[in-house]
Amino acid sequence: MAAILSILLIALPWLGAILVWLTGDSRPKILHILAVTFSLGAGLVSLVLLAFAGPGSVLSVQVGSLFGAFTLNPDGLGASLAAVACVVGSLAVIFSVDYMHGEAQLSRYYTFVLLFIGAMTGLVLSGNLLFTFFFWEITALCSYALISFYNDDPKAVAGGIKALIITQVGGVGLLAGTLAAYASLGSLQVADLLKGAATMPAGILAVVAFGFLLAAAAKSAQFPFHTWLPDAMEAPTPVSALIHAATMVNAGVYLLARFYPAFVNVPGWTLAVTLVGMISALIAGLMALTATDLKRALAYSTVSQLGYMVYAIGVGGVFASQFHLLSHAVFKALLFLSAGAVIHSVGTRDMRRMGGLGAKMPFIRNVFIVGALALAGLPIFNGFWSKELILEAGLKGPWWAFGFMLFGAGLTAFYTIRMTWLVFFGAEREQLHAHASGTAMKIATGALALGTLTTWLLAGPLSNLLANSLPFHKLEPLATWLMVEEVLSAPATWIALVVIAAGAGLWAAIQFRKTGTVLSAQPTATAGWFDVVATSSFGFEWLNQQVVSVVKKTSTELQKTQTGELNWNILGIVGALLAVLAILAWGV
Amino acid sequence: MESFFYIILGLVAIFCAYRAMLAQRLLSSILYLACVSATVSVILYLLGAQQVAVIELSVGAGLVTVLMVYALSVVGDDAQDLLSVIPKPLAFCIVALLAVLAGFMVYNPNPMSDSTLQTTSFSLATVLWQVRVLDVWIQIALIFSGVLGVLGLLSEKAAPTSKKGEVHS
Amino acid sequence: MNISALNIVLIIIIGLLGVGLYGLLITRNLIKIVLVLQILVKSAMLALVLAGKAAGNLDLGQSLAVTVIVADTVVAVVGLALAVQVRRRFGTLDVPQISTLRG
Repeated sequence: MAAILSILLIALPWLGAILVWLTGDSRPKILHILAVTFSLGAGLVSLVLLAFAGPGSVLSVQVGSLFGAFTLNPDGLGASLAAVACVVGSLAVIFSVDYMHGEAQLSRYYTFVLLFIGAMTGLVLSGNLLFTFFFWEITALCSYALISFYNDDPKAVAGGIKALIITQVGGVGLLAGTLAAYASLGSLQVADLLKGAATMPAGILAVVAFGFLLAAAAKSAQFPFHTWLPDAMEAPTPVSALIHAATMVNAGVYLLARFYPAFVNVPGWTLAVTLVGMISALIAGLMALTATDLKRALAYSTVSQLGYMVYAIGVGGVFASQFHLLSHAVFKALLFLSAGAVIHSVGTRDMRRMGGLGAKMPFIRNVFIVGALALAGLPIFNGFWSKELILEAGLKGPWWAFGFMLFGAGLTAFYTIRMTWLVFFGAEREQLHAHASGTAMKIATGALALGTLTTWLLAGPLSNLLANSLPFHKLEPLATWLMVEEVLSAPATWIALVVIAAGAGLWAAIQFRKTGTVLSAQPTATAGWFDVVATSSFGFEWLNQQVVSVVKKTSTELQKTQTGELNWNILGIVGALLAVLAILAWGV
Repeated sequence: MESFFYIILGLVAIFCAYRAMLAQRLLSSILYLACVSATVSVILYLLGAQQVAVIELSVGAGLVTVLMVYALSVVGDDAQDLLSVIPKPLAFCIVALLAVLAGFMVYNPNPMSDSTLQTTSFSLATVLWQVRVLDVWIQIALIFSGVLGVLGLLSEKAAPTSKKGEVHS
Repeated sequence: MNISALNIVLIIIIGLLGVGLYGLLITRNLIKIVLVLQILVKSAMLALVLAGKAAGNLDLGQSLAVTVIVADTVVAVVGLALAVQVRRRFGTLDVPQISTLRG
């Protein structure tokens, strides 16, 4: 049963993608119906799969002696992530019905979205390292195609290419790790790597561990690869919600969580993971302080929260990181979709031009506030419970990292309130036309808001699922009520709440000092140098530009070898033959 | 004694192939190719593969030669520009290296002996029609598709500049 | 040196191969390319028969050689037909002039 469900989970969205592509652009209504049907179907199947998740692989297809077997392991980690991907995916597709109403080339959009959903579930369910890599690359392709969806906008195209190149650098790390593991263990199965990690020579294990860390950091936009995510905000907002908040960027966290027991003993690995997570959380939080573009601020916030998850894995709290992944997927998708509703109605992304929109868009204002409070980590909302679990796990790690993460929580509160205030409250700075949002948007955001209020109750079942189906991770199940008790009684929680209140209070104080009243509408200005540093991503923007330009120059130079002349091509063939014979003659 | 024949035939074959490649007029090249065919056919006969030798002689020196002469007559024997795209020394070096490497790899100090196990194998007819019957069917399919392809190609009328021509494929 | 007959045939094969590859690299005329391909295929056919003889299973080698002859004849026929069409469309058989597929 689980085998059929797992295959359905990959096949349904892909079948939908093919059907959408074949339908073409001339019948948008059918396109909407098809996309919603198939993604909803995938969402339902993924929820059913949760009931059947268990350890070990359910499907094993031999694909030749080189690649080993194509296996699907719907264990707790994979099934929960697949459920997140499919459910949030279906909500994002429902939202797109309104958002992309009347847009050109809808079939291309829906094809790639559905292709992406299928590839993401394949990635988390796959039990063969090489197939994980294949699905990884397919998600990178879909991400590129969707970021550059508005392909006559040069900014969108540049953002897409940047995202593609940077995540491909990570892909190299994943491939190198996979091949090193294969060379050492002789098998490409995930289970074999987890079992046999202790028997691998230390150097090779380090290559695998740091290769996977590289891949995870690039895919999840962690330091030092954090610059592609803000530029990826040129994508249509449902795509940002789906790919860059809820699913694809979680692939990196998934990778680290999946292979944690194999790499935990590699010297320096956990420290590196902790550092990467901590630095990302901090600098992204700092950059969000000065962002003026609504989606960019949300993108920085995503990087920051992913930093929390990566930090959690670094200090050993795998369950805490997965729980926060679940909460974050829900509230971040909610924030993105509501931001999308706002952007769609007023036509601009610049927060300095918005203001006072709460009166005109009450429903969106309310759901946005729900998401923002979850992001800041206030009690009752799911962000609170998961963030506190992470901080508690952080007590086991280096104390200075814990301190920085605490400071990050305060930063989060600060920029979240700033963002909410600038968009929805205060006086209007410009006369912008704002209309109430459509039904589909309301359904999608409302469902997510409901989720934000309730997914923390799933802590017990999730922890049970993970503990029972991940034999190598040695997790202990934790009932929901126990988790609540634990969080409420831990001193770290109260310290964190104080810090969050301090962050909020600081914002109010700065507002008061600048304008004499807390309720003013002027955005807070920060020191000039800080603005410059933050907008250039602490210098990494320049570095990434260099990498992109080098790649482009190399490809232009290499094009000269494609002369199209027959004799030249034959020379290439004969030369290759010569190389092969030379290698064979002198032995490798 | 046998080796002597092989050496002579080999030299003739390679010499004819070389002339075929470098000849100025295409008609000469085609005639030299026919010579190569004939020589290779004799080598095959000496190796003991009589049936293949006969087939090679009739097909290589007969059919292919006639076909090429026919194509040549349709196309016309223009004078060719001898300046090659790739400089000749470079091509020569690469090919020489390749030949030396290949020779180095297959050179076997223990001379290969003629195996006398021939009597235990099947006859050619059995091999063709029973053991490798799939090969034969594929060949038949190949011939048919080749004929269809040629008919399709040759039925296209002249280039679009001609008013009477219409292109259908 | 004790070179047996079969080694000599090996050298012939490599020689024909070398001449064929050199021709492919040098030639500018489409029909001549088809012709040079024929030379290459003859060397392949010789190699197959030689392998059959050395392994003792001469008939298997012969049947494979027959397959190769048929295949390469069909290639020659279609190639010539293509060359005729190219001449009709482009007006020339010069390979560098008909290369329109550029990178």
